[in-house]
Amino acid sequence: MKDFFNKISSNELYQRLFKNPWSYLAGAVFLAFLNTLTLAFTGSGWGVTGAFSNWLVWILRPLGVDFSSWSQLNTEAAIKLLDAGFFKDALSIRNLGIVFGALLAVLLASQFKIKKIKSWKQVFAAILGGILMGYGARLAAGCNIGALFTATASMSLSGWVFAGALFIGGFIGSKLLTKYFM
Amino acid sequence: MKEVKLDCLGEACPIPMLKAEKKMAELAIGDYLIVQIDHSCAMKNVPDWARLHGHNVEVEEVGDGEWEVIIEKVK
Repeated sequence: MKDFFNKISSNELYQRLFKNPWSYLAGAVFLAFLNTLTLAFTGSGWGVTGAFSNWLVWILRPLGVDFSSWSQLNTEAAIKLLDAGFFKDALSIRNLGIVFGALLAVLLASQFKIKKIKSWKQVFAAILGGILMGYGARLAAGCNIGALFTATASMSLSGWVFAGALFIGGFIGSKLLTKYFM
Repeated sequence: MKEVKLDCLGEACPIPMLKAEKKMAELAIGDYLIVQIDHSCAMKNVPDWARLHGHNVEVEEVGDGEWEVIIEKVK
């Protein structure tokens, strides 16, 4: 058994596909291909954060929280989607797939590691960053996937406006990063 | 010629690269910098940065999801 795994881990094809990082070009072409498939099969391009507001409803509605005054969740399409549930929502299932796919990829490369937390500063920054990105993504009705990647690929001007805003945010973010983490 | 270790375990991108860049500036030609990382994207951008600046680079996998990027300062 050990010989078998040693043989695989020294195989050149295994190393190129699973072990070493792909080139940016190969990644871009592959993403474009998958996004085309997503568009063809589900009728809309790749997105991620749109599902998060659905998850909030699915978790909090059974606990008695009333969402009927939220205009964003009261369109005909949104109501239909929310009533159909998690397993009928392509976006939610795909997000699950991303998490499991990432786990599979890291296991295939034998690079799984639980990382230690270096400082409370890191925890604070991660939570703050997550809240800001999540809030921003809901205000903009998309994140860097739905509102940038998919939008620009669909020749939408909004994607380029988003890119400009993202650049400004990224610039400020990197200044804060070098100020507090270097 | 000396060898300097830079502990970037638990640090996410782009911090390992920024720290390596800062540390490299303090070293003399012929010195080695060993950057310890466990964030896979640093395994790409730290060597990329070093090669772009003309240094010799070698990446060694020291454990599951843990690497040492060894950079020789050549100029």
